[in-house]
Amino acid sequence: MRRHFPWITLVSLLVLVGMKDITFLSPENLVSLASDVVPLLIMAVGMTLVIYIGSIDLSSQSIANMATVLTTIALPSCGVAAGLLVIAVGLVFGAVSGVVTTRLKVPSFISTLAVGGIALSVGQYTSGQQALHMDTAQRRHAFGWMVGQTAGIPHELVLALLIVAVAWFIQTRMVPGRTFKAIGAGEPVVVASGIRVERYKILAFALSGMFAAIAGLVFSVRLSGGSPTLAEGFLLPAIVAVLVGGTPLTGGVGGVLNTLVGTMIVAVVRASMLYFSIPATGQQIFFGLVLIIAIATTIDRSKMRIVK
Amino acid sequence: MFELQNVEKRYMGVHVLKGVDFRIEDGEIIGLVGENGAGKSTLMKVIYGAVQHDGGTVLVDGNAVHFRSPRDAMKMGVGMVYQEQSLIPNLTVMENIFLGFEKPFVRFGAINWKKMAAAARRQLAKVKLDIDPATITDHLTFAQRQLVELAKVLALEERVEGKLVILLDEPTSVLSREEIDLLFTVVRALRRRASFIFVSHRLDEIIALSDRIYVLKDGVVVDVMSARGAEIGDIQKKMVGRDINSEYYREDRQRPYDPDRVLLELDHVTITGRGNDVSLKLHAGEVLALVGVEGSGREPILRTIFGMQKPEKGTLRIRGEPVHTFSPSRSVAHGIGYIPRERKVEGIAGGMNVYENMTLSQMRNYSRGGVLDIAAERALAREWIHKLSIKVPSELADCGNLSGGNQQKVVLAKWRSGGSEIIMLDHPTRGLDIGAKEDVYGMIRDMSADGVGIILVADTLEEAIGLSHTIAVIKDGEIRKWFNCQPGAKPSLYDLIQYMV
Repeated sequence: MRRHFPWITLVSLLVLVGMKDITFLSPENLVSLASDVVPLLIMAVGMTLVIYIGSIDLSSQSIANMATVLTTIALPSCGVAAGLLVIAVGLVFGAVSGVVTTRLKVPSFISTLAVGGIALSVGQYTSGQQALHMDTAQRRHAFGWMVGQTAGIPHELVLALLIVAVAWFIQTRMVPGRTFKAIGAGEPVVVASGIRVERYKILAFALSGMFAAIAGLVFSVRLSGGSPTLAEGFLLPAIVAVLVGGTPLTGGVGGVLNTLVGTMIVAVVRASMLYFSIPATGQQIFFGLVLIIAIATTIDRSKMRIVK
Repeated sequence: MFELQNVEKRYMGVHVLKGVDFRIEDGEIIGLVGENGAGKSTLMKVIYGAVQHDGGTVLVDGNAVHFRSPRDAMKMGVGMVYQEQSLIPNLTVMENIFLGFEKPFVRFGAINWKKMAAAARRQLAKVKLDIDPATITDHLTFAQRQLVELAKVLALEERVEGKLVILLDEPTSVLSREEIDLLFTVVRALRRRASFIFVSHRLDEIIALSDRIYVLKDGVVVDVMSARGAEIGDIQKKMVGRDINSEYYREDRQRPYDPDRVLLELDHVTITGRGNDVSLKLHAGEVLALVGVEGSGREPILRTIFGMQKPEKGTLRIRGEPVHTFSPSRSVAHGIGYIPRERKVEGIAGGMNVYENMTLSQMRNYSRGGVLDIAAERALAREWIHKLSIKVPSELADCGNLSGGNQQKVVLAKWRSGGSEIIMLDHPTRGLDIGAKEDVYGMIRDMSADGVGIILVADTLEEAIGLSHTIAVIKDGEIRKWFNCQPGAKPSLYDLIQYMV
């Protein structure tokens, strides 16, 4: 039953808002709704991998911020390679979080908070604390394929679904994904099975950093620029998306597809606030509450008797 | 007097207690036995208030009571001495004894420590434990902590009217012989103050300590007998509902090992932190049992061989090759398998299915370029489910929901299917019922026949004697004595014990 909870929530929400205004359910509206949350979805997919192993990544938003700045700065000199560069930087930042967590035994909420702080500063320093803009021609030349539509489907959305598909393949069909699941389900078993757990944990953090960077990349291309605060307000919805999707903080269950559903729930809730005329500034209040409720109802209490 | 009449309990549709009648007189010691899953722990939880029964009555001195929590039960004089000790390690002994009941020692919000220490000393005297009540609990030995736990329950005496009823849940499982004797002396001496319900897997102790024995099977009391004149075999028969084969340990299937094939050798190895010197050789097809009291250093030897800790000195050779790097992944690559004592923590990943658990240690063999061949994994799982007759609906079943015996079979299958030739068994039958134990013994014989070398730390001495080819008696980290254990010429319990303590 609990397994089906996320998509039932999504469908009920759609029906609820649809009853208020039927145009909400029109294909065009739904597609634009979905493409609006593409950066959030990509970030949440990365976050899923880390939560899947029972850790948390609080650096995603800062890495995405940094990525928007770095993409914009690198675009004139590197062209499309700016994308690869930014992805590599995200991977490295994530890996640093992983190394600090596993080798130095710093809890992940602290290590990622610290690495996020570093990423934020890198963004601020390199941007000179201001919003940067991409040259239109350069942007179209390097990343034109990312914007635009084919047969009414935005390319961004296709890209996001491809990324989800890749992450899903890693999670369900590959050795690292299986290992992530096992670490979330019971780390001592994985150690006693002769697996080098630390490597896989570092990999999970590195992938999360990479996905956060991709989210930043996509976002900066969409907005044609970068700023160290561009992705502000992404972190909470991303964590909410993972948790309401059905991946509990203790890890081991749920996964990427759950997060796809979770992100859609976040998107619908956000959009519905307009329909029910709730001011946008109130959003984070709502997501904060949803986060607490989501954690309180999904957590596996048999794994955590005591919370500190 | 404490009594249960026709007590019923269901968990999510499963009928766990089916009309249990249970009666304990003042000052009586009752032994409670039953296989795993017979409903023992549920019955105990009903008695000490951790679980509410849904039918029948609980009577204290003839009055019906209803415990909503263990604290309610304590107020009526029913206390529990937990198997997993419930003391808080970083508090002092007296703080633990009066945890939650500090009120009599409080004046103006501050605790009068002198008064509490004096009161704690009185409680400790009841269990003949001469320690400073201000000692940090963590500094005590396991047996001392057990006595403190008992003292904590006895402290109820001053707070309730009438006699106490004290539950002892497997209190002897990690105590040495001497400590067990001490505990029993204390319990017998306390009969004037309290009656006891003693739960144990060790039937000899049940017979020695109890007045009457309740045998529980499938949620029903199948027999109540006087302990005087009771026979172990008789009780076992009632617990299982059939005869236990005299060839319990499958000694008829014990074959000589191959003395020319040394799989593993420890050559003057010093285990970290113990300053000892251990040498041993494990041959193909041999079962080598490490025997000793709790804390004698058996587990560290297993963990060193498995690479979980690094030896200080000496050489470890696997098939003649010296090992230089110590990590579990290295050991697994060398064909060493480890079946841990804490099955649910280190053995089985709950939430993962049978095939995922079985291939966890050998994903390399079931993947290409990092992509898993799930069809092959499932085929492997089906093969081993069949081979070991694991009771599961399919290979997709969640291992967390299996019974202990079936979980242990999955762990065994994990290593056997990966071709491990050297297997460490750490308490492989802990917490298993008799039928499941017999299955494990059979599997150990199968592995020997296949030329696997096994190092065993057994749950009981009888098990070690029955299963092994060779026994190493360990005391204070050193191997004190070797025994040859050929069928028909096995050493006796007494032979071993005199070198253990």
